Amino acid sequence: MVPGALFHFSWLKIPANRIDFLTFVFSAAIVLVGAVNVVRQRNPVLAALSLVMTLFGVAVLFVEQQANFLAAVQIIVYAGAIVVLFLFVIMFLGVDREESISEEPLRGQRFWAYLLMALTFVGLLLAGLGSRFGSGVPSVAGTLNDNPAHPRSATPDVVVLGKSVFTTYLFAFEITSALLVIAVVGAVVLARRPGAGPLAEEDDDEVEVEVETAEPEEVST
Amino acid sequence: MLSHAYLIPLLPLAGFLVLALFGRRIGEPWAGWLGTATVAGSFVLSLVTYGALLGRTGSGREVTDVVYNWIPAIPHSGFQVSASLLVDPLSMTMVLFVTGISTLIHLYSIGYMDGDGDFPKFFLYLNLFVASMLVLVLGGNLLMTFVGWEGVGVCSYWLISFWFGRDSAASAGKKAFLYNRVADVGFLLAMFLVFERTGTLSYGSAGGGGFLGQAASLPPSTRTAVCLLLFLAAAGKSAQFPLFPWLADAMEGPTPVSALIHAATMVTAGVYLMCRIGPLLSLSHTAQLVVSIVGVGTAFVAASIGCAQQDIKKVLAYSTVSQLGYMFLAVGTGAYEAAIFLMVAHAFFKGLLFLGAGSVIHGLHDEQDLKRMGNLRRYMKLTFWTVSVGVVAIAGIPPLSGFFAKGDVLDNAFAGSLFPWKVMWAVGLATALLTAYYMTRLLVLAFLGDDRWKAVVDGGRAKKDPHESPWVMTVPLVVLAVLAVVGGALNLPGHLSFDPLRWLAPVFGPGAFEEHLSGSSQWVLGVVDALVALVGAGVAFRLWSRETERPALEPALLQRSWYLDEVTDATLGRPGQALARMAASFDTRVIDGAVTGVARLTRGAGSGLRRVQTGYVRQYALGITVGLVVLVGYVTFLAVAR
Amino acid sequence: MTALLAATPAHLTVKIAYLSILPMLALLGGALVILVWSSLLRRPLETVWITSLTVLAATAALVLSLMQYFDVIHHGAHVAIDGAIVSDGFSAFVAVLVSAAVVVAALVGDGWLQQETIRGPEFHVLVLVSASGAMVMGAANDLIVVFLGLEILSIALYVLAAFNARRRQSGEAALKYFVLGGFSSAVFLYGIALVYGSTGTTNLPQIASYLAQNYVLHNGMLLAGLALLLVGFGFKAAAVPFHLWTPDVYQGSPSPVTGFMAAVAKVGAFAALLRVFVSSFGLLRADWQPAVWVIAVASLLLGASVALVQRDIKRMLAYSSINHAGFILLGLQAGSTKGVEGSLYYLFAYSFLALGSFAVISVVGGPGDGRHGLDRYRGLARRQPWLAGALALFLVAQAGIPPTTGFWAKLEVLQAAAGAHSYALAVIAMLSAVIAGFFYLRVVVLMYSPAGATGDGAATGTIVDTVEPARAVGDEGEPVGVAPGGEAGSGAVALLEADTGESAEPLVIPGTTGIALALCAGATVVLGIYPAWLTDFAHQATLLFHP
Repeated sequence: MVPGALFHFSWLKIPANRIDFLTFVFSAAIVLVGAVNVVRQRNPVLAALSLVMTLFGVAVLFVEQQANFLAAVQIIVYAGAIVVLFLFVIMFLGVDREESISEEPLRGQRFWAYLLMALTFVGLLLAGLGSRFGSGVPSVAGTLNDNPAHPRSATPDVVVLGKSVFTTYLFAFEITSALLVIAVVGAVVLARRPGAGPLAEEDDDEVEVEVETAEPEEVST
Repeated sequence: MLSHAYLIPLLPLAGFLVLALFGRRIGEPWAGWLGTATVAGSFVLSLVTYGALLGRTGSGREVTDVVYNWIPAIPHSGFQVSASLLVDPLSMTMVLFVTGISTLIHLYSIGYMDGDGDFPKFFLYLNLFVASMLVLVLGGNLLMTFVGWEGVGVCSYWLISFWFGRDSAASAGKKAFLYNRVADVGFLLAMFLVFERTGTLSYGSAGGGGFLGQAASLPPSTRTAVCLLLFLAAAGKSAQFPLFPWLADAMEGPTPVSALIHAATMVTAGVYLMCRIGPLLSLSHTAQLVVSIVGVGTAFVAASIGCAQQDIKKVLAYSTVSQLGYMFLAVGTGAYEAAIFLMVAHAFFKGLLFLGAGSVIHGLHDEQDLKRMGNLRRYMKLTFWTVSVGVVAIAGIPPLSGFFAKGDVLDNAFAGSLFPWKVMWAVGLATALLTAYYMTRLLVLAFLGDDRWKAVVDGGRAKKDPHESPWVMTVPLVVLAVLAVVGGALNLPGHLSFDPLRWLAPVFGPGAFEEHLSGSSQWVLGVVDALVALVGAGVAFRLWSRETERPALEPALLQRSWYLDEVTDATLGRPGQALARMAASFDTRVIDGAVTGVARLTRGAGSGLRRVQTGYVRQYALGITVGLVVLVGYVTFLAVAR
Repeated sequence: MTALLAATPAHLTVKIAYLSILPMLALLGGALVILVWSSLLRRPLETVWITSLTVLAATAALVLSLMQYFDVIHHGAHVAIDGAIVSDGFSAFVAVLVSAAVVVAALVGDGWLQQETIRGPEFHVLVLVSASGAMVMGAANDLIVVFLGLEILSIALYVLAAFNARRRQSGEAALKYFVLGGFSSAVFLYGIALVYGSTGTTNLPQIASYLAQNYVLHNGMLLAGLALLLVGFGFKAAAVPFHLWTPDVYQGSPSPVTGFMAAVAKVGAFAALLRVFVSSFGLLRADWQPAVWVIAVASLLLGASVALVQRDIKRMLAYSSINHAGFILLGLQAGSTKGVEGSLYYLFAYSFLALGSFAVISVVGGPGDGRHGLDRYRGLARRQPWLAGALALFLVAQAGIPPTTGFWAKLEVLQAAAGAHSYALAVIAMLSAVIAGFFYLRVVVLMYSPAGATGDGAATGTIVDTVEPARAVGDEGEPVGVAPGGEAGSGAVALLEADTGESAEPLVIPGTTGIALALCAGATVVLGIYPAWLTDFAHQATLLFHP
């Protein structure tokens, strides 16, 4: 925690608990590989499965932070429910459809995308490097071990989580319901077929390219 | 009466509203009479108000009339502006001649616009213009003045492009608008600066709590900055170098508009503004120097251009610019009375000249080319005589008003104590020579010589004989001619900036110059002025009464107004357009355009178009990411630099 | 916080100050009532009932937020629901503005739905919920709540953009907005995470007090979080270079939705942006001001100059909204109370101008809402004097010509900039206003020139073909040229009498749209002539800014 010069690699020193560190490195690698694979994979089913891989990695990271409940929820809800839903949709649309990602509508665009994303992350890393993070400020939800004398013996994480969901984050928790309601209404609206009525009469001098409308299902997933 | 000054602008405004709502139903000519009546009403009102004002003495002559609290004081910010009117000799002088001339020109327009499809609309705009102009001169603070300033600007834009069917009229309107908006930036900045430094925007000159009262306590740099910023605004509105090309183009508007807005009233708003901030301007020598140099320079340049123009209205337009330059010269030398005097006299004779030109144009069925006129005195006697009076007046031949007014300005320039002033007097005198020259040229070409208009074949047959205009058009001519003759009596010489009625006291306080001219030197200067004017007129008469084509005397440099438009276009217009095009192509060409091209390609190749659409989104996401990278790069720089 | 947790018994309940969330509840409740009611009925509910309910809910929200405002004035600002949201003048101002905007948007939407013969309650439900999201953003006291408000606002807007399923552009716009919106939300969320990581809290006042108590020597991560937050906000507020979606989405969305989007999305985004940056990160002012400066300048200049070359009025107004975003950023860049005040004022003025302009556009766009070429506006004054007058008023006000709200708005932010000694920025802003004034007035001139006056070939041929569908709606709408009297004092400049006998296009101003136009025009003119109320309101809103 000594605020050192920028390239003072103190944060890279392997801490006392090597197991923790190795777990972090390992699961972080899994998360990253999975995430990259979601984007790179041609086969949608494999892409969805790569997503599961990422989510598992995140769950392991949660466990490492002693957020066991969150880890379980992560597996059950995301890996269990949401990815399965994805897979259903993919199966309905046809598994054999492969997105040909080699064909480029815009020349050079991929290169720029890689470059810019790389620059973003390099920038973020550089900015983060040597900055004081963690900062010693306790989290709003309270620490897991109330009693420093007996580490790992105090309040279970479910209790802390429950407390903060119904106190500090009560409003956020409740307002999420509005978000879900609007998402459902939106999905219904988008899935509905258009009825009869006046059709658009576009101006002649449109410079816009006429392009095919995206299928509404895509938006609602 | 003084507390009812708000009725003065309100009356034309009421006329405007009635015309806006029922104009088409009232129709021609009653819409015109209604407009004239409201403006005449406010002229009478201002006469009464002026009388009441003259009954007072000293600082009692400055009455601030708070109509209502526009923006009430807000705690902590201190920003408070009330819709107040400042009634003092300066503003009332302006109000008197604005309403008076407007009445005459309204009357004239009834005849001139006769038969135009948009007759009521014309008076609608004209009334709104008068109302705005009155707000401008009566406004008790910079913000009120600015409201009127914008109002007259917009009206001028509408009226210049009144015949927007003509492309030239439409583009002239745009040009005027753009030049004025550029200048308005100066006004706004000056307002901020004034408010920031003094906490108030109201004028309140002598200890009235306004910023002019605090002028002496301001740092010199602030005084200079405020004056120069306001001068930028004034130079735009009053068409001073290099912002004058719009005024020549503004002649595309109907002639009464040129007479009212672009000769008599609106263009003098800049001079008025500089006079209004006189107490501040007098304290900044830099600003005075800039104002007088720009003024005298403009006067000379515009006069030289006027010598080579063929369009009768263009000659008058450049003459207006030149006379406005004289007024700024007077302002710069601290002779505010002289500036105001010239402004009033100029309103008389230039209004007269424009109306006379309008009468000629009307009589010749929309012919504006001087080279296609000639010998009109036989057909339009009244117009000829009145225009002659105007020409003699503007040329500065005694004893007409122009001689005294211009003499006042030149005397002050001569008497100035700083070094460059004498040079300015010389340039001013040269300009006076040019003025007499080009005005006589105009008179000779239009009214004397052969009937050249007969040779002009129009659509296969010769033009009809010119005819004299109806009485509604000639009455204003006569009235203005009388005023142009006797206007000099308003301010007879004998004393430098002699003020027999003390009619501008106490706005400008004691004269800016300690150094006064002796009576004899004034006589000498007066004789010099008169001689110069006679020489100019004589030369022009000799040169132009026989011959109408003298290319050597009309070089392209002058005809194209010193190539100022071209220079502006090259230095500002083209890069500006290129910039807009570049910015547009960033969006439309690089992004949309690339995609459009690709879309055609893919469409031709027959593959799905859906990819193109995601191409759009990808491209946009890429753009957003560029922004992201730049921001992150910036904070990284901050973090590393620390 | 930990001390609080330790001191309180295990079962602690949160006290909820209902007045502070009642405006949002009114909107959400209205939405739910409409949804449930219409799904219980067998036949689809008449549109007029839905609209009335929406207007009722929004009016209730308006009244409640005014009550909240007076409560704040008399009893001071306070945080509510365990610090999740705050009830202060700022949040009350945003709530008032948003609920008033909903009233107008619902009325305009009603006219549009009738014109398009679209039935069903979803439009109004989405508008209501979306507006509640903006309100949440205005009152949010926690970055998580800001994010949730942003998502509620945005998701409803994505769907609204796609609402006209018969128009391909509409779906396209929605997809673009959705994908890019998702992208920017992810960036925003990342920013929240970084801020949390470096300050240990997402609560805005706690961030502020953390920064006040600790001098963070190496705050690269915090600044990176700040940058990412700025990207997220900048996207929603349509500031350059995060504006790229704006023209396409504004053009593609149904016109009333565009108006709503321009007004409410900007209000929500800027409200949260102002609160987060000025109140929480006020101490880092020196670090974020240059970035905001650049973004503001880019928005001002690009918005104004690109709008010049547009031929579609919706695209033109999209770029103009980018220009306006630059002006609002002026207030943020000042980083002072005065600046926040100016920005709030600007938001208020701009919201009604945008709603009004797009209301006119939705009428002129005709059935199908697809005809927005500038040529369509040539000679509009003769055919539709009231409509043209209203649009002229809104455009003139956007150009910042006194005495309209637009002028005062520009004056307020410019003063703030001058007060913060950002003179260069003020000059650039005014230059951009000069450029912008040009394209606004160009449309005004176009409307008041006779149809086909200059032989611009494109003008002809766009007039003749909208006969049949319009007749169908003609019965319900008001006859041409006899718009509601509320506008009487408004578009004075433009109220030229025009003979309606000319071969007029059967354009119909629906009654509700007429009312909405009258409201917007009234707000623009009345508040322009008597701006004291609004300046006072905006000022009070900032007085209680720091709870």
